[in-house]
Amino acid sequence: MVAQTVRRAAPFAAACMVLVGPFLIENRFLLKVFTFVGLNVLVVVGLAILFGYAGQVSLGHAAFVGIGAYTCAILTTRHDVEWILAFGAAGLAAALGGFLLALPSLRLKGHYLAMATLGFGELATLVFVEAEHVTGGVDGFAGIPFPSIGAFEFREPSALYWLVWGVVGVVLVLAANMTRLRPGRAMRALHGSELGAMASGVDVVGVKVRSFVMSSALAGLSGALYASVVGFISPSVFTVGASVTFLAMTVIGGTGSLAGPLAAAALLTLLQYVDALIPGVSRQTALFIQSYQADVYGLAIILVVILSPKGIAGLFRRVRDGVRP
Amino acid sequence: MTDLLQFLVAGLKSGAIYALVALGFTIVYAATGAINFAQGEFYMLGGMFGVWLAAFDLPLPVAVVCAVALTALIGALFEYAAVRPLGSGDPLRIIMVTIGGSIVLRQAALHVFGPNEKALALFTPGPSLNFFGASIERQTLWVWALTAAAVLALAVVYRSTAFGLAMRATSLNRDAARLVGVNAAFMVTASFALAAGLGALGGLVVAPLTQTAFDVGAGVGVKGFSAAILGGLGNPIAAVGGGLVLGLLESLTAGYLHPLYKDAVAIVVLLGVLFFRPQGLLGLRGKEKV
Repeated sequence: MVAQTVRRAAPFAAACMVLVGPFLIENRFLLKVFTFVGLNVLVVVGLAILFGYAGQVSLGHAAFVGIGAYTCAILTTRHDVEWILAFGAAGLAAALGGFLLALPSLRLKGHYLAMATLGFGELATLVFVEAEHVTGGVDGFAGIPFPSIGAFEFREPSALYWLVWGVVGVVLVLAANMTRLRPGRAMRALHGSELGAMASGVDVVGVKVRSFVMSSALAGLSGALYASVVGFISPSVFTVGASVTFLAMTVIGGTGSLAGPLAAAALLTLLQYVDALIPGVSRQTALFIQSYQADVYGLAIILVVILSPKGIAGLFRRVRDGVRP
Repeated sequence: MTDLLQFLVAGLKSGAIYALVALGFTIVYAATGAINFAQGEFYMLGGMFGVWLAAFDLPLPVAVVCAVALTALIGALFEYAAVRPLGSGDPLRIIMVTIGGSIVLRQAALHVFGPNEKALALFTPGPSLNFFGASIERQTLWVWALTAAAVLALAVVYRSTAFGLAMRATSLNRDAARLVGVNAAFMVTASFALAAGLGALGGLVVAPLTQTAFDVGAGVGVKGFSAAILGGLGNPIAAVGGGLVLGLLESLTAGYLHPLYKDAVAIVVLLGVLFFRPQGLLGLRGKEKV
């Protein structure tokens, strides 16, 4: 009974904390850091559905973030498209890319998608660098306007914060409903046993393709928000290294859960800015952490898969249900 | 005509390298049923160890042999430490572990060897050879010779030694192999060592031509995998054929279309094969569909 109350109350408590953030945080830089947390959460929620529910791996989600970012940047600066339309177009462009990649890779059993996404990620970086007249090449793409809806422009850090977390909130509510209802059950079924799911009438290929398209669309939306919040994008942000970071957050967060990956994304993003968050931690420490963070992600993936394949979320469930780990 | 010949030479050169990497994928896939995402990193480690050992004034042949052996050892250790604890379970978990391993190996190479590009000395310096107007670098002959030697040696080992028989038995049916006394766990370790050694050989022999760095593994990994899929995953002969075909496709694309499109060939081939002929060019029909 208590556990159930806590379970119901926790999302509301978290939402309230996020909501009042800008009133408590005076530091503009910190507010930006928390906005970045929201952007990463958006990508990781998509990956949590793909990995944790549908059992598929992507090593190329930064490419979809990039597609979204460049789509939004190009439409708003060169074609004077309303921001909200460009934002939608960014999600659609990434979803289309995801569909073209997922359809061939997911028709088969096995994990071809992982390798296809790795190749796609490498290729995307190459395109972002080489298609100079479209993307600005290595020098990047500057002068992207702030997000705006009608006449209202999200200029202030607090406005940007609320915009990003507003999108995150809507996405989380939709994702939580989806994973609880029929599509989520179908995904969990095929994660358990593909043959069993198929025998129960689950359209296995369809579910996998849909979850991949959904996750790439979310990555595209995150990219569009990133471009508009920062105002500048360059290919160095959308590398395979970034994709690996997203994947590590998802794997460490755990399978069959949205809260686990969400928490992992938040904590691991904040870890990079530890010097700004905790007084007394020097810039050197933060830089040291940053230079070794990929090592930590790699090791963490190995350890989680060996020791606790269901991640933090799985550990939490075991403790809550009183089963000794 | 000379142009075409030159493109063919270049294509068969990189194709031989892809063939070695593809063989590594095939061997591990046969033993575990999983794709080894660290395969490209073994290619990278081969080149890096070669440069590192050559800096100790070791004779180049010794450095090359030691680099291959060291990489094979790392492949075996990686399997022992990270893959074996998983048992013969879900291939997804093996894939995840090799993804983690590839990151760890790449970062370790970055911390130990630094971020700069490195070059290995040519095996036999000298002017390029002229072949009906196309020029062939001497190192390219080394690429072909060592690849052919490795493929032949592998074929002999697989066909006519007890070890090869045990490897094939394990890949056909792990439990049945164990029942007749094959140490299946050891065979999986050996397959990682073998795959690592082949990858390392590829990275070493091409390092004098292309240079090497800590981050070259992922790209070569994707290409080697595309080559393995093109031939038909799990078939060593097809992997070699797939590697050569992919190399030729790349070099013809670079030559007749645009050099920039070269790196797109592998991913287009990968998706095309998965979509139209998932069993590979040489594979049997109807295998491995859902």
